[in-house]
This record gives sequence, C-alpha cells and structure tokens, in this order.
Amino acid sequence: MSSIPCAIVGVGQTHHKSRRLDVSFGGLVREAVFRALDDAQMTFADIDAVVLGKAPDLFEGVMKPELYLSDALGAIGKPMFRVHTAGSVGGTTAIVAASHVQAGKHRTVLAVAFEKQSEGNAQFALGSGKGASLGAGGAFAPFIRSYIHRSGAPEHIGWKVAVKDRLNALKNPYAHLQIADISIEKVKASPMMWEPIRFLESCPSSDGACAMVLTDEAGGLAAAAAGRPPAWVLGASSRSEPPSFPGRDPVRPQAALMCAADVYKQAGITNPRQQIDMAELYVPFSWHEAIWLEAFGIAEEGDGWKMIDDGTTELGGGFPVNCSGGVLSTNPIGASGLLRFAEAANQVRGAAGEHQVEGANVALAMAYGANSQYFSTWAVGSSLTPYA
Amino acid sequence: MTRFVESTITFPYKRSLGPVVGMFMTALTEQRILGIRNGTDVIVPPMEWDPATGAELAHDFVEVGPAGTVESWTWVPKPSAQHPLTHPFAFAFIRLDGATTPLLHAVDAGSASALSVGTRVAPRWKGTRIGHITDIDAFVLGETPEVAGPDHGPSETPVSMMEYQASITYNNPVPVAADRVVEASKAQRLLGQVCPVCARVYAGGRGYCPIDAVELGTEHEVDLPDKGTITNYALVTPVQYPGQTETEPFARVFVLLDGTDVILSYQPVIELAASDVHVGVRVAAVWASPAEDIDEGAAMGGAYGALIGWMPTGEPDHTDPDLVNRIF
Repeated sequence: MSSIPCAIVGVGQTHHKSRRLDVSFGGLVREAVFRALDDAQMTFADIDAVVLGKAPDLFEGVMKPELYLSDALGAIGKPMFRVHTAGSVGGTTAIVAASHVQAGKHRTVLAVAFEKQSEGNAQFALGSGKGASLGAGGAFAPFIRSYIHRSGAPEHIGWKVAVKDRLNALKNPYAHLQIADISIEKVKASPMMWEPIRFLESCPSSDGACAMVLTDEAGGLAAAAAGRPPAWVLGASSRSEPPSFPGRDPVRPQAALMCAADVYKQAGITNPRQQIDMAELYVPFSWHEAIWLEAFGIAEEGDGWKMIDDGTTELGGGFPVNCSGGVLSTNPIGASGLLRFAEAANQVRGAAGEHQVEGANVALAMAYGANSQYFSTWAVGSSLTPYA
Repeated sequence: MTRFVESTITFPYKRSLGPVVGMFMTALTEQRILGIRNGTDVIVPPMEWDPATGAELAHDFVEVGPAGTVESWTWVPKPSAQHPLTHPFAFAFIRLDGATTPLLHAVDAGSASALSVGTRVAPRWKGTRIGHITDIDAFVLGETPEVAGPDHGPSETPVSMMEYQASITYNNPVPVAADRVVEASKAQRLLGQVCPVCARVYAGGRGYCPIDAVELGTEHEVDLPDKGTITNYALVTPVQYPGQTETEPFARVFVLLDGTDVILSYQPVIELAASDVHVGVRVAAVWASPAEDIDEGAAMGGAYGALIGWMPTGEPDHTDPDLVNRIF
C-alpha cells in the first residue's frame, strides 16, 4: 500500500520536573510547541491540523483538555484531534499525526502530548479514583516476576538498566531525574516498592510536554535542502489486545509481537538487531528493557537480559537503548511515548546532542499502555532508503 | 431490569495558574479585575495567548470595571449544589467597562424580570478572598461594588495556585452476568461461564468472551471450585492519596482454581501476611457471612460480592515451575 512519505522536521520538549508550578497547562504545552515550531522554522500558520495526546483525564481533572487547549495550540479553525491509548498515547499521537500526512489529508501536522502529574496523583488516577490502587508498579510486578523466572536472568539486570538510563539522562538537559551519583549500590539500597521492583528501578512522576512537526515529502526535502535534516517514517503501527483472558501472556503480548512484525514489514527490516542503530523503548520499570528487547525481536526469547548484562544497550554499545534517559528518567505519562518517538527522530537527524549515537541511520521507538495491552511503534530513518 | 450502582469520585486537584491568570487571581483578592491588551482588544479574564491565532501576548494588563453591562443571560431557577448561589440567579455574559470581551459570572438579580440585555451590574466581593473567580460572590444590579460581610483584605502573597475539588457521581449499570455471580456468591458459589467457541472459562461475571466476541449467558454457566493455588502476586506499598483505603503494605494475588484453567486476578488475601505471600500457596475462598454488608458492585478482577478474599488451607505448596507464568 503506497502512501505519501512523512518527514519529521521539528521536535521540541519542555524541561521536565516533578512540579512545573511556574506554568499553566497551556503554558506547559506551548513551551514544547514553540521549540518544535522553531526547530522546523515554522509558525502556527504553517500547521494544517493538530493532534493532542495525554493519559486519562483523571490525572489532572480536566475533562476534554483538547477543547480547553485548542486556542493555546493555535488550532482555531483547524482540525483538532484527541488521542487516548493509556501509556502508549504519546506514540499513538505521533502515528495518528503521521497517518494524516501519509494519507494526503493534511500536509503539515503538529503532534503534542503532555502530562502535568503534579496537579493530581497517578496512583489515584490509575486506580480509577478508588482506594487500594495497585499503581503501575503493582500492576507490572507480576509480569516482571514471570519474566525473571522464565529467562533465569540474575537480579542485577534490573539494577544495571536503572543505572544506565540515569547516566544517559545526565547527558540530556531536558531529563527530569539528574542523579549524578547513581550507582548499582544506590539502586540496591533504595526501598522495595513492588517486589521485585525497587524505588530507583521505577519511573518518576513528571510534569512535561513534547511536540513534533510532521510534514510531507516536499516539506522534508525542503528542510534537508536548507541544511536541517529530517527524520523519515519508515514504518508505524499500533496494536491492542484485551486486558485479560485465559492464556494471555503479558510478558510477550500478542499485540506487541504483531506491532513489531507490522513495523518491520513496512520498513523492510528483516534483522532488527543489525538494521536498527538504536531504540527508545518504553521502560517505566527497569526490567521492561529486557522484556521489550525480546518481544520486539531485537533479542531472541530469553536473551534480552544478556544484551544488558554485556553492555550492548549502553550508549556506545552495539545497540544503544534509551539514550535520552528514557521513561526511567522522565515520565510525564501522556508525553512519555512521544518523547520516545521524538528521541528516535532526533537520533537519525543527528540532533540528539550529547546522547547522540554516532552515525544512527535507523531508530526504533515504542510505547505501551494499560495492562500491557496497547502498543505503538515506529521506525524512522535518516532517509527513506537508509539500508541502501 | 438493569441494576445500577452509584459511585462517587472526588479529588483535590492543584492547578498552577501561570503568570497571567495568577496575576488576575491576585488582583481579585485586591478587589480589582484585570484584563490583558491584545491589539485594540482588552480580554477579560486575561489570557496568555491570542485566542484566535495562538500568538503569545505581552503582559500588558489593564484594570477594567468594576461595573459592566449584561450582554446575554440565562436564568437558573433551581440551583444545584455546584452552582455559586443557593437561590435562583442568572448566569450572564458581563462586559466590564473597559473590556472588549464579556466575563461569564453569576448575577444575583432577585428575579428574571429584573434582567435584560443592557442591565448595569457591579461585583459583590466576598469578605475573605483567596484568589479564585468566586472571590466575586456574584454581580448585583447597579453601579456600586459591595463587600459581603467583613473585609479581610487582599492576599499577602501573589496567588499562583488554585485548589480544585473535583467530584463526580456515576450510576454504573451492573451487567446481568455480573449480577448473577454476585448472587451466586451469597450462596458461597463461584460461578464461571464457558465460551461455546474456544471453551475458555471466565470467572467474575464478564458476560462475553473477548477472544471470540461471543456473549455468554446463563446457559454457559458452570460452578467452579473454591480452592486454588497462588500463581503470582503484587505487593503494594500504598501511596497515601486522597481516597486511599490502605495504610499498610498489602498483597493482591492471582489464584488458579483447582482442576481448571481459570485464574481469578487481583484477589485479596486473608490470614496471610503480605510478606508471607509467595508462589504456590494453597488457598480457599473466604465468604462474607450473610449478616455482613457486601460490595454489590462487580468489577473485572478483584473480589466481588460475598467473595471477600482467599486464605491459606495449610496444605503443602504447589511446586509446578510454570505456575508463576499463569497470570491471566
């Protein structure tokens, strides 16, 4: 199925913190939006449609924030869309925006995602407003226990990921957590939150936003000609599955396997480990790096943890993962997926700053949500034929 | 007849107002109403951006009012608990003197007949002002601002935050299948439903098979054993958010029912300390006594109805190494 090539020509994000009490909702998203527009050398006048993503409205208690923010996002008189697929929403937002371009419906689309976690409480929101909320950690700990059991991975794997991503965050001025003295000892000594997940193996709660400008082939080529290399969408896919049914495997969810297969087919990727140069995987708890390396076919089943153990996924390793610091360092939930997709784009644009993977031509980004049941993934390249 | 269960969600949200709305709220505590200049317009309440174009506005504030003119209004004959006044009033668009946009607020006009387009109104300030739009109690007829009760003066510090106590009450329909399992639980029966296509068995009254998209009715019901084995679990250190019911670390376990492939997910444990929960513990259902109040609602996952949790049987642990992978 042929479609119009889609290029990412602008990326922006806020400085993420526990509490961005200095800004309003609108002020927060606009901080990211203007950085993306400046990066694209555009203004609101160049935008044909806006796509907004965020996690459940219960997080901030603002119903339908897409209506509330339409003027802040310069969307008056333009198509405005809201996306919601739980934690994967930021990724899905980018995919919906890209779909508008690829379908030829809108030439240039602004994708925006945000969360202002300080306005509410994540455990409250994830527990549907009731007591005894498991929180995300409580929901995912059983899946991690199952992964550790079946893979035989040693317990230090989780600690290593927790340290690696925080070291990467020190190279990312936008990252929320900046833990200069992060170490295995420090992670081990941190409190057990949801056995086997320790505090420092968990993501923070952040206020923040991310924005991206996506445009068509002519727009991408124009940016390239002006010395501003775009990222090109090689493949993009979303898949979902029911939250529970007898036989469901949340460690290798069917939706994740299908999402990966679809993206690789679109992108012409037959050997992910060799053809992809880096990945931004949605890792809110350290063990998810190993889980997704396997479910996304980057490692064989049971071998994901070995890529962590031998340093392959470190910045400078053979297959760097979460060079931005990842969700473990920055987690404005609704924006966390878009931040993954934005980092992948910046990597192939050569615009990732101190956490740049040298010579990255193909990058993968994924986000997942709810009970490990929504998946969004894209592969982006420095050109439409990056393997040639 | 579908049964409905009422539930209320409340939460005290905390808004950061940003530099422009913060300025407006701070001024309200001083009995002043601010607008912001946007070209030849003065927007009230002030905004950070041009609502038409999204362009950033300079912080060029203009004091407006305090009196203004009603441009449009609607009468509220029966105020609800969430309305600003307890007796009948009007919501009105009021163009304050000096403003080019109307402000939406309440007018305490006595009766609808006292209002018309063009009516002049002025604010009645609350005596205690915190930096909230309700610092204006309501607008009253005439040109002269009032203060209701003793005036406690302006805020001593700039207002930057707003508390927002959200509350919403739902009436959730309880699916027939869920009603059936709650009823069965009162007779200490665990009811399941078998999908006629894939033969998967669902507990907890789901009423459909999500794999085959088949509705499951009474003809698909089966009785399930009330003993099983803990396959996996979550240990949670509770965060003390408003509405939290737990204060101590608690466990939720997955129970594989004997001789079936049925997992009951996120079940509470009884007479088993969270720290003693592990894979393989043999457990039996614990039922509420008929005299006890039970949760008549039914949610997917968790205990329901008269099933209040699971307690150890004292039998030796089940040691199947694949148990831990049986989560759903």
